[in-house]
Amino acid sequence: MGEFIGKSVKRREDARFLKGMGKYTDDIKLPKMTHSAFVRSPYAHAKIENVDISEAEKADGVVAIFTGKDACGEYGVPCGWQVDFKNGETMREPKHPLLAKDKIRHLGEAVTIVIAETLEQARDAAELVEVDYEELPAVTDPKKAMEEGAPLVHDDWDSNAAFDWCIGNDRAEVEAALEKAHHVTEMEYRNQRLAPNAMEPRSYIADYDVNGDKYTLYTSTQNPHLIRLLMCAFVLGLPEHKVRIVSKDVGGGFGSKIYHYTEEALLTWAAKEIGRPVKWTSDRSEAFLTDAHGRDHVVKSRMGFDKDGKIVAHLTDEYCGMGAYLSTFAPAVPTYLHGTLFQGVYTTPLIHLNVIAPFTHTVPVDAYRGAGRPEATYLLERIISKGAQEMGMDAAEIRYKNFIPPFDGVEEAGYQTQVALQYDSGNYEAALKKGLERLGYDDFRKEQSEARKNGRLLGVGISTYIEGCGIAPSAVVGALGARAGLYEVGQVRVQPTGKVSVFTGAHSHGQGHETVFAQFVADKLGIDMADVEIEHGDTDQVAFGMGTYGSRSLAVGGSAIIKSIDKILEKGAKIAAHKLEAAEDDLEYASGKWTVKGTDKSVSFGDVALTAYVPHNYPEGLEPGLDFSSFYDPSNFTYPFGTHIAVVEVDADTGAVELQRFIAVDDVGNIMNPMIVEGQIHGGVAQGVGQALLEEVAYDEAGQMITGSYMDYAMPRADDLPMIETENTVTPCPHNPLGVKGAGEAGAIGSTPAVVNAVVDALAHLGVTDIQMPLKPQTVWKAMQN
Amino acid sequence: MKIKGNYKLPASRSVVWDMVMDPEILERVTPGIKELKELSQDQYEAVSEVRVGPVKGNFTGKLSIKDKTEEEGCTLVIDQKSKMGNVVAEIVMNLASSDEGGTDVTYTGEAKMSGTLASMGQRIMSGVVSTLSKQFFKSMEEEIDKRSA
Amino acid sequence: MNVTITVNGKQFTHDIEPRLSLAQYLRENLDLTGTHIGCDTSGCGACTITMDGNAVKSCTVLAVQADGSEITTIEGMAQNGEMHPIQAAFKEKHGLQCGFCTPGMVMVAADILKNYPNPSEEDIRHGLKGNFCRCTGYHNIVKSIQLAAETIND
Repeated sequence: MGEFIGKSVKRREDARFLKGMGKYTDDIKLPKMTHSAFVRSPYAHAKIENVDISEAEKADGVVAIFTGKDACGEYGVPCGWQVDFKNGETMREPKHPLLAKDKIRHLGEAVTIVIAETLEQARDAAELVEVDYEELPAVTDPKKAMEEGAPLVHDDWDSNAAFDWCIGNDRAEVEAALEKAHHVTEMEYRNQRLAPNAMEPRSYIADYDVNGDKYTLYTSTQNPHLIRLLMCAFVLGLPEHKVRIVSKDVGGGFGSKIYHYTEEALLTWAAKEIGRPVKWTSDRSEAFLTDAHGRDHVVKSRMGFDKDGKIVAHLTDEYCGMGAYLSTFAPAVPTYLHGTLFQGVYTTPLIHLNVIAPFTHTVPVDAYRGAGRPEATYLLERIISKGAQEMGMDAAEIRYKNFIPPFDGVEEAGYQTQVALQYDSGNYEAALKKGLERLGYDDFRKEQSEARKNGRLLGVGISTYIEGCGIAPSAVVGALGARAGLYEVGQVRVQPTGKVSVFTGAHSHGQGHETVFAQFVADKLGIDMADVEIEHGDTDQVAFGMGTYGSRSLAVGGSAIIKSIDKILEKGAKIAAHKLEAAEDDLEYASGKWTVKGTDKSVSFGDVALTAYVPHNYPEGLEPGLDFSSFYDPSNFTYPFGTHIAVVEVDADTGAVELQRFIAVDDVGNIMNPMIVEGQIHGGVAQGVGQALLEEVAYDEAGQMITGSYMDYAMPRADDLPMIETENTVTPCPHNPLGVKGAGEAGAIGSTPAVVNAVVDALAHLGVTDIQMPLKPQTVWKAMQN
Repeated sequence: MKIKGNYKLPASRSVVWDMVMDPEILERVTPGIKELKELSQDQYEAVSEVRVGPVKGNFTGKLSIKDKTEEEGCTLVIDQKSKMGNVVAEIVMNLASSDEGGTDVTYTGEAKMSGTLASMGQRIMSGVVSTLSKQFFKSMEEEIDKRSA
Repeated sequence: MNVTITVNGKQFTHDIEPRLSLAQYLRENLDLTGTHIGCDTSGCGACTITMDGNAVKSCTVLAVQADGSEITTIEGMAQNGEMHPIQAAFKEKHGLQCGFCTPGMVMVAADILKNYPNPSEEDIRHGLKGNFCRCTGYHNIVKSIQLAAETIND
């Protein structure tokens, strides 16, 4: 371990954010910039009968107005992942137009863009656009969308299913095992729809430069290169080398800023049409209506146990809403990021999951922090606890009985699951043991039974999760339907003076890459952190990249940088050997210098760098310069895991839930910066608790969103949460150079079922075995009364 | 959204009925109404501006009356459009003689909203509706006072 | 309408539309883009500033209402390039991640510490109730404000 790796180095990006000097997209003003506003549908499903822009065109300051009739990207935005029907039929993939032309398919779908000199003028003029609609019946619930006679979202097909897919063992075999099981636990519930709610609303500025025919799009994305690829190749048909995407400071993403959105392409197209830059920044109401949502699974599940509590089979059927169109990664979320985790941390011998993914008249659904894995974890961790409750077993005991035994992935092989994946390394019981010790499990049980005597309702909930991160090996995801590779790019450019610029295809929108990446780069090169600069978020600067999501930045992006550092040191050694007049094999590299072993003869990194760029006295045949770029394609996913434990008290009179303690024991492999990992866990836990207790996007029968603002969509506030107690176990990832697994999503994956398990535990003696999320006081109170 | 309420008016059922059926009076007493144009028997075009607290908007659209039973009740059908969303409502109004010689007006119905009104306004809309209803009946009362004066 | 507003110690006079929010005024007219707009219902607090010494959400104050007042924004917190103790504490305790809610958090923290110089955890959480953070789970924001209180009181 070096000087910086493993230390809680304070973040270098903080000063600018703390002083109000961050540069988010909406903070950028370009000369001659125009502003835009959208006219959006007030209906979930409607025919557009007429769009009248005549009054709006006359309004002050209007520069241009475009409707679906204009030739803006007629192919629409594409989907990046193909998941076919289990019978071999191709996934149904509708066009997703930049502006709706004839038909509205979700509330808030854009009908017209109004571009004006100022934002106020654009908004004023947008109010003058008259749209005549014929409202049609809508369907928002994924299960109802598959019922006979449900309104069709796309008339091209005879049902709403985008695909019908399954994974795991033969269904009949699983059903037969359930028939024979000693006990079968059943669950039926909804993993409710959530709005990601990054605090910075989406914001875009498109600019077209007639000199050179070049486009620049400033965008709040997690994924600049992929946006460029999709927009150029599929939507607008632009040559990629003429398009630059800039995404510097981004105010949170949580998945919602991975995707290529219609507004990005529309603004880019419009910038050329009007010959001026055009800006659009979403307001929060628009964000609720147009940012991709998360979750929305309707679940029916059965898990069979033998008389000792060992799981013998697991069968689940789900309806997973896609929304009105297929967002970039949407089909992967309830399938390959979900079904592949159905093994959990247990030795379940027989597993079958069937997923029907219908279109609904709602905003598209896509990856939201955890993406498919929180939904899998919620199911497994709830149903095993419910099974224990029904069989009169302890929630910890049933888990110990079913755990996959520890394996390090080096001496012992990885664990082959029933659902395609092979786990890299794990020690699940160690994490649970640590969590229970931190809690004082036995003492808590005593306290709980004492409290019950006094009418107080205390509960504890355990969740022992696993997730698949670091996505991912390109060949694997390609075979699973991904239309992109999921490698990462890292370029290390040593400047002549020995200062180092690192260009990464990963993207930081809160994760602190500028600090963490610099930590390991400085350590590996033996130089000061101040001599390392991390650059990201500009396609003209960074060779290529696949962006940040799926907790992949360090595991994949970091590994690509390491590969380049290896190349730097290899070439550097050649230069050093020449300078020291020694054989390369006789050199060792440490603390920023090459030394001839057993002597005090050495040459510094800076000297070698300078020599590389001023190659007067230089090894024969060696190219000048010290600048390497590498693509790293991982050989497997990484599998972080852990134990989350929640302690709650339920108010006996009102059903209100107070989260009293939250213990998170996470194994994310090796840790580069504990402070940042803890921060990631805290934030993930808060979002997971939010789903358990507070958050839900609700649509009414007509497809109107009734939780479209912070007055009705309840996110966790400071007084909804306790201090979060974090612990780690460390099981290094055996297949990447840093031994890291990823920490971005763990908190959101493990926490939700822990909280719900705790509430059910608090009410277990009242006969409560399940409650539908979110656990609002009235929902809990009702459960208590039955 | 469910709409429900009642109000006692100090006039007989026949007086109240005549007032409700008179577009000129309706235009005067209905809060926010700027214009009420009779299109045909019991069909009106209405232009209104509603301003209550944070809710403000100009509405235009149709208003019609059906299922009329003289002096007993009718159904009011409202279809109004605005920039912040549209409202479609059916409200059944019943008149009953009260003990003190006045009229008990009860109304019940359902309103469907869309757009911003639905996503941001549902929570405050029921308050807005109850305020507007109160204003309506207060104005009716004043109208009755004027008549008896 | 003409307004004269003192922002971070400097006086500005502008002719503005009456409907312009104070947040927009700060961002667009004064280029003080540290004040962020995260919602449209006063729910998120990213736009929090101090107006005549009190924390307010500048998205729900009209610029004309601020006529004659003294405003401090996040850009006015550091003095001579030196971070305010609250800012320094946020860095020390990792009280920020994406940074978008951060200016509002720092400004509301100043208000909390003005009203509760020795705040309990409950005081802090109560005081933060009007401000959303989606990254930190508030844990380290609370720790930051606790540290700031200690530093200021020393």
